[in-house]
Amino acid sequence: MFKELAKGLSITLKHLLPGNTTTVQYPKERLEIAPRFRGLHRLVPTQDREKCVACYLCPTVCPAKCITVESAENEKGEKYPRVYEIDLLRCIFCGYCVEACPVEAIEMTSAYELANFKREDFAFDKERLLKSQEGAA
Amino acid sequence: MVNLTIDGKQITVSKTATIYEAAKEAGIYIPVLCYAKKLLPYGACRVCLVEVEQMKGRLIPSCTTPVTEGMVVTTMSDEIHKVRKTVLEFLLVNHVVECPICDKAGECDLQDLTYEYEVVTNRFKGEKFDLPTDEVNPLIERNMNRCVLCGKCVRVCDEIVGYGSYSFINRGFETKIATAFDRGLNCEFCGQCISMCPVGALLPRPFKFKARPWQLKEVDTVCGYCGNGCTITLGTKDNEVQTIRFNDKTGVNDGNLCIRGRFGYSYVNSDQKLTKPLVRRDGQLVETSWEEAIQAVADGFKAAGDNVGIVSGARLTNEELFLVKNLSKALGTENLDHSGGECYKGITEGLKATLGIQASTATFPQVENCDAILSIRSDFYETHPVFGMVVNQAIRRNDAKLTVVADKLGKFTKLPNARTLLHKPGLELNIINGICSVLLEEGLAKTDGLVGLDKLKKSLKKYSADAVATATGVAADAIKQAARELAAAENAAILLAYGLPYTAYSKELGIAAANLSLLTGIAGRQGSGLYLCGEKANSQGAIDLGILPGKKGLGVQQMFAAAGKGELKALYVVGEDPLVSYPDYALVDQALEAPFLVVQDLFMTATAEKADVVLPATSFAEKNGTYTNAERRIQQVRQGIKSKGEAKTDFEILQLLLQAFGTAAPATPAEAFAQLAVVTPGYEKVSLDMVGPQGYVWGGEILQPETRKLVSVVAGKALDSKYQLLVGSALYHSGTVSTHAKGPSAVVSEPYIELGREDAAELSLAEGDMLKLRTAGGDIKAKVKVDRRLPKGVFFAPYHFAALELNKIYTGQPVIAVEPVKL
Repeated sequence: MFKELAKGLSITLKHLLPGNTTTVQYPKERLEIAPRFRGLHRLVPTQDREKCVACYLCPTVCPAKCITVESAENEKGEKYPRVYEIDLLRCIFCGYCVEACPVEAIEMTSAYELANFKREDFAFDKERLLKSQEGAA
Repeated sequence: MVNLTIDGKQITVSKTATIYEAAKEAGIYIPVLCYAKKLLPYGACRVCLVEVEQMKGRLIPSCTTPVTEGMVVTTMSDEIHKVRKTVLEFLLVNHVVECPICDKAGECDLQDLTYEYEVVTNRFKGEKFDLPTDEVNPLIERNMNRCVLCGKCVRVCDEIVGYGSYSFINRGFETKIATAFDRGLNCEFCGQCISMCPVGALLPRPFKFKARPWQLKEVDTVCGYCGNGCTITLGTKDNEVQTIRFNDKTGVNDGNLCIRGRFGYSYVNSDQKLTKPLVRRDGQLVETSWEEAIQAVADGFKAAGDNVGIVSGARLTNEELFLVKNLSKALGTENLDHSGGECYKGITEGLKATLGIQASTATFPQVENCDAILSIRSDFYETHPVFGMVVNQAIRRNDAKLTVVADKLGKFTKLPNARTLLHKPGLELNIINGICSVLLEEGLAKTDGLVGLDKLKKSLKKYSADAVATATGVAADAIKQAARELAAAENAAILLAYGLPYTAYSKELGIAAANLSLLTGIAGRQGSGLYLCGEKANSQGAIDLGILPGKKGLGVQQMFAAAGKGELKALYVVGEDPLVSYPDYALVDQALEAPFLVVQDLFMTATAEKADVVLPATSFAEKNGTYTNAERRIQQVRQGIKSKGEAKTDFEILQLLLQAFGTAAPATPAEAFAQLAVVTPGYEKVSLDMVGPQGYVWGGEILQPETRKLVSVVAGKALDSKYQLLVGSALYHSGTVSTHAKGPSAVVSEPYIELGREDAAELSLAEGDMLKLRTAGGDIKAKVKVDRRLPKGVFFAPYHFAALELNKIYTGQPVIAVEPVKL
């Protein structure tokens, strides 16, 4: 019986040795993010505007109904989103919006540090979404 | 009937049906792009190809092939699938795939078929179209890069609308749809082409980028403009009417609409609409609460005792009119009337005196099968455009003979088989009397059971065809021919319109038309009919419900005269702007000065500005109820959006007023309908459940006259003046409401005076010049519009615009003597 006990404890002790722990010392340490991780959304810009053409496919497909789009016509007669807003509190990060987009105007970054203090701060409007960076909220 | 087999299913259909129609009837789906129910078969798209056992070896277009006895049809096989897919691939060679920014996406036939047939790659390569889009016109977005050349727009514009804006130009790959000389579109802007387009080549510009089809909530209701009673389907989102959707399944209009119906909706969303009740304090109208406003109205009316006059609009629902009637009873007044007081006398007094009824005798769809049609005074393409399209159908599909009695040319004139009896202004009666006299002289009249024949014969002696021809300037032969056609026709129709801008001889014209309908036997005969068409959406309902002066009561004109003299102490004006739209400005203006005036309207109208209390009401899109159209069809008006601000429906306001007078009011419009049906002649057996998708025609398809009395009428006299002005309504507008709508206003935004080219040359006037018309009663001035439809010496001005101040010189006379002065 003593033998078994020693065997078990040795495993425990082995894990206590430096270099063998599974705990990541966040925020000092961070895991590497998978390439297909679904974090904060990003609207892809082109030279002078957003790539989005306000086709309304993302608000249509969105199961959480967290995307608000309002289309309008710009000076060049192009269709553009006058309003594009994602309510992050409702978003379930399923990525359907990215899949539905016919022009690859929306993508998901690896940013996951999205905590905030006020409700309003979770409403990501067009300007904020255009500035979303990889890894940073 | 023909028997055939489609996909193993035994089907019996009429022998005129095509394979496609037979399949549709049997519930078998065949895809189509170029087929439309109301258009003639065309066979342009080749998507509907099927296999027919008897015609082996090639595929047969099902939409153009008539059925034959014993036909065995297969609608789907590997080969059919392959061929259809290939057709789609061909279409997609040049078609720009811009679904994300195309407003049609989601209800696009090409998109749906591409998805269904899984056209993900294309074996053919070619250049995409890169044609310029039509950015010139305000209402119809034309993007020919998306066109699939189905030709529906070309056909609807020609076959139904009768305008012919479009045609195919060029050959082969270069083929495209274009207007004459490939210029920007400049037409009536009825938007029928938009409703037909299977792809996004033609789209309503006011709706551009507004919403996706699947986001819109659809509400079927009845158009609030003219008496035709077209079903319009509101596409609503965010509590606004975003667009009018295509719907050919409900109502009488078969999906056809005019510019007002299709583009005239924007006033319901207008931020100019009144949202709070106003009362006058120290000479100023100030916002107040509903309680105070209703109290102020109640106090005012109580102070006036039974010296209150009520003037109602004809765009209120039947239920609201019922409450108006109840209110007049509660107030103890019989001074109750609607729309001008004069304009509908043709129907209330004219028809009553002769036929004993107060409504059209038949329904609109019957006109399509008529052989002869007589249109009096009004070009229906302008006053009731969708009825005009029905007449067009009768001519094109049934080879009907059309006779137009008019003082100016119009679209009716241009139709094939149309004969225009272009007379000097104000002489319609002479011509109708002339036609009646020809019928009697030539022994064509059906005189059995008619009362007053001898008297009429005697009075018509003066109106022999030749005498009428001399007086009116119309050829005697044409009058005779018109009479013969009407008498010979198996099915015939007589059409007469009534409305505020043409009130003269209203009663007499009603009588004359009724005389003619009796002599020809049209009144009450199966398939034939006399149609009196009201100007407003519920003109007929207002007459049915008796929004008319009681025995001791005053009509509108007398009410205004009495109010001007100070005899009438209070006036309640609901949904009307008499200061702009009624004849005789001076009379109305004076009438509105003294009494306690309550105005209930959508906008701050000229009349409302004079009011002591203004009650904000809502448009047709914000309420429930029923309208009765010119053919007696009761149809449901349904609420599409919620009212803005504190505005209430007329029904709610009238409820409050009735309660203020201690009278019980029905709680809902449905309850009101049940109550009004009991007391309204013709509505006795009607319940709301009977008012289905096609409405319910009270009195049946054919309304039999109760009496058959002939009454002689004295004809008009021509005006002896070199220049004469006609007053009327324009195609693009209806009443004064449409001037608040962006669509119609984008096409015709300001008043104009129209004249013929001869006069323009003589007076050296060009389009857009300012012209002043001097008359005995005052002057009007407006921009000139030069056209070909007016005879020499005749001018025309529409009455819709307040800025023209037309009613300062128009006091209800048939025609006004004017002296033109170029400015």
